[in-house]
Amino acid sequence: MKLFKPFIFVFACASVSAFYTSAINAETLAITNATIHTATDQGVLTNATVIIESGKIIAVNADKAAVDKADAVFDAKGQILTPGLIGSMNQLGLVEVNAVSGTRDASDKKADITFDASIGFNPRSTVIPYTRKGGITSNIVAPRGGESIFKGKTFAVDLSGSFDSIVASNNAILVDLGAKRKGSRAYDMQQLINKLEDAQKKLDKAKKKLAKEKADKKESKEDGNKKDSKKEDEEPVDYKRDELIINAVLAGTQPLVVYADRATDILALIKLKQRFGLNLIIRGAADAVLVTDQLVKAEIPVLINSMRNLPGSFDSLHTALNSAAILTSAGVKVGLSISYPHAINDPHFLYQLRFDAGNAIANGLSKDQGLAVVTANIADMFGLNSGAIEVGKNADLVLWSADPFELSSRVVKMWIGGDEFSTQSRQDALRDRYTTKSDMPRAYTK
Amino acid sequence: MHTKRLSLLPRSVLAVTISITLTACLQSEQQDEQVTINKNPFPSTYQSLPHQDTLIINATILTGTGERIEQGDILVRDGKIVQIGTDLTADNIKTIDAKGKWLTPGIIDVHSHLGVYPSPSVESHSDGNESTMPNTSEVWAEHSVWPQDPSFQTARAGGITTLQILPGSANLFGGRGVTLRNVPSQTTQGMKFPDAPYGLKMACGENPKRVYGGRKVAPSTRMGNMAGYRTAWAEATEYKRAWDKYNKDYAAGKNPTVPERNLTNDTLRGVIDGEILIHNHCYKAEEMAMMIDLGKEFKYHSGTFHHGIEAYKIADILAENKNCVAMWPDWWGFKMEAFDMVQENVAIVDAVKNSCAIVHSDSAITIQRLNQEAGKVMYRAQENGFALKEEDAIRWITANPAKALGLSDKTGSLEVGKNADLVLWNQNPFSVYAKAEQVFIDGAKVYDRFDEKYQALSDFMLGQPSVNQSIPSKK
Repeated sequence: MKLFKPFIFVFACASVSAFYTSAINAETLAITNATIHTATDQGVLTNATVIIESGKIIAVNADKAAVDKADAVFDAKGQILTPGLIGSMNQLGLVEVNAVSGTRDASDKKADITFDASIGFNPRSTVIPYTRKGGITSNIVAPRGGESIFKGKTFAVDLSGSFDSIVASNNAILVDLGAKRKGSRAYDMQQLINKLEDAQKKLDKAKKKLAKEKADKKESKEDGNKKDSKKEDEEPVDYKRDELIINAVLAGTQPLVVYADRATDILALIKLKQRFGLNLIIRGAADAVLVTDQLVKAEIPVLINSMRNLPGSFDSLHTALNSAAILTSAGVKVGLSISYPHAINDPHFLYQLRFDAGNAIANGLSKDQGLAVVTANIADMFGLNSGAIEVGKNADLVLWSADPFELSSRVVKMWIGGDEFSTQSRQDALRDRYTTKSDMPRAYTK
Repeated sequence: MHTKRLSLLPRSVLAVTISITLTACLQSEQQDEQVTINKNPFPSTYQSLPHQDTLIINATILTGTGERIEQGDILVRDGKIVQIGTDLTADNIKTIDAKGKWLTPGIIDVHSHLGVYPSPSVESHSDGNESTMPNTSEVWAEHSVWPQDPSFQTARAGGITTLQILPGSANLFGGRGVTLRNVPSQTTQGMKFPDAPYGLKMACGENPKRVYGGRKVAPSTRMGNMAGYRTAWAEATEYKRAWDKYNKDYAAGKNPTVPERNLTNDTLRGVIDGEILIHNHCYKAEEMAMMIDLGKEFKYHSGTFHHGIEAYKIADILAENKNCVAMWPDWWGFKMEAFDMVQENVAIVDAVKNSCAIVHSDSAITIQRLNQEAGKVMYRAQENGFALKEEDAIRWITANPAKALGLSDKTGSLEVGKNADLVLWNQNPFSVYAKAEQVFIDGAKVYDRFDEKYQALSDFMLGQPSVNQSIPSKK
């Protein structure tokens, strides 16, 4: 294990405390009389209570005594409470205005597997408060990388807009495969395979060497010699940064998120998972509906876009509005993301994730499944301690005026890590300015 | 009137020759055959699909005129609406009981690139932007449309019965748009909406100046854009003057020189003559205001603004000048001119008297759900004090785009005498769960969610290994 220490997968729960130390207070809040869509096996709880303290859910459906003890009580009046939705695979906080190059930090020509875009994350982006309108409380940000098939590392953020809103950096490695404008998909797949093979060989060699050295040492100890005691603590191989990452991928501690659409690419990836024991997530996955059995057997979750029903390329002839339903009913774990390549691919559209889920429900998912694909399933894939309403989870909660997936509903209240946040954004200020009567130029209306 | 005289010289050469020698000739001279420009060289061959007279009863009807009829009925004969109201009866007629369902006019998208930027989006089919010169008014989108684009079928499943296909926005003048009936056809002419006026795509702002500025040619600034439009309109004005004079002189019995034909100026002249309607990609308030004045300067109407992200800032100016504005509910941030989006934009524009607010798609994905796009606006506006109802919101995707396309007398509302373009929805169309169940164009059923017979498939998708087919495997 020592080898991988610098790159151990950072779970949200491990680093979240860093952020919430500023927000921690001992006060407890009881949200009572809510219709709770838990996104767990518990399903929907009516007339239910959630108690939150220090940023965490400490009780669900607690007894009256616990509620009475709470410092504050909020009566939800029967409205629907869900876990905060979780966005993924977009450039939230890395891109303010897509066509303004100075506001784009999601890619760099030379970016490779070591690319950590979280360093460039801007929690003050105007996209973040706007996105809260969609009930989204956290997000897996995905850089777009550069020329390498390795696009860099994803990272998790909450949507508090605070300077410490990065919940976990480095929570998965991105790879893009499939159809190319120039060159062959086979070359890219080979690169991935070669990278894994070479790293595995080097690890095996080092392991052998270590074993031999141990054996030698044992021998020499038996001989009574105590030389080279210092060497014992040293790593036998001096791994480079990219090698350490691949080693973590091979150890299964670093998830690998691979973009692939065509069935042949998906099947090749399934083989890779089995051969190297990868923690693999496939995104895009247009042809996943053709290989559901294989995906289920290999326990590979997919991140798809539920609105993608056109043959945008020869890689995506089979994706349809009911893809999420087909995959889910076959037993594949599905997450919805608004991901590229797609006409609607950037963080400015992330707020409508709930409508994507709504359309997936209109096309075959149950409402519980529709909630899971934008909450619990994403949290599971990326190891976030949120996305469900159960004891111990982060208090990322959204109260809705009505059905969360409907166009007509809105966020009534939302809590991120137990703190309440507003959904007001710059868009509201502009609307108010231009709908308020004044004798003076609009610029005086603030 | 016509004096037939065969000339062995090409007309242009003849024109030059005679223009020097004969301009001063008097009425008594012999006239050459009058040269006229064929304004419709690629005429529509559209014919409605097989249709039968139909009575739809018990629906919640949104007429597109701002009215709503509960338990409403509509009678369709020969592709036209002949009666609308309640408790209608007719003998020996196919009757659809639409209890619990909603009926609206066929949905119209005023801004689409289906067929010119089709799926699959391969280089071979990327035919939407003739971005080689800032003024390409001579190109026509209908010459680029690939009728086998599978997106026409998915749009039809979303209730789209009429759509305007526009060239892209790389150029100051992108070329002519074409309005199509959303029916399957091997030819583009077979889809063309009969007698629909042509559109001319213009573009303000970032796109033209980026495309050409990047090549170090004009325009590279917004003032360069403006100079480009004005130069073109000034030339077109002279062109029109030359042709008007030619026609007038000829009518007076003279034998005037034929002006040189110019396809670019043919289109611009059509705009000045009021025959071709402007459709202007224009996001920003100050630019729309400039374009309105530009129209006044060169005596044409500035038409419909598309992607009017900042329309809410000048809603009064737009209504006063009778400009329609096509907008998205929530697209923003992809470029600077899309930064000031508000979710109530459409509603704010709509609230002014004599306004013409439109919800458009510009997307092969969202064209499938313009009902939902309009719904987003309606609900956000309701939350912020706008008294809008379903019967109001439906106009944004029916009657108002019909007006922008110059088709108000034919489609866009459910009124006696109009074409029977109808969508029957399983429920309130402004729901995320709403689905078009049946779609009619000119009284003919073109889509039925529950009957494969009425689900067209493009040639491209036909015979592709289907997801429903078992996949062979060698054991």
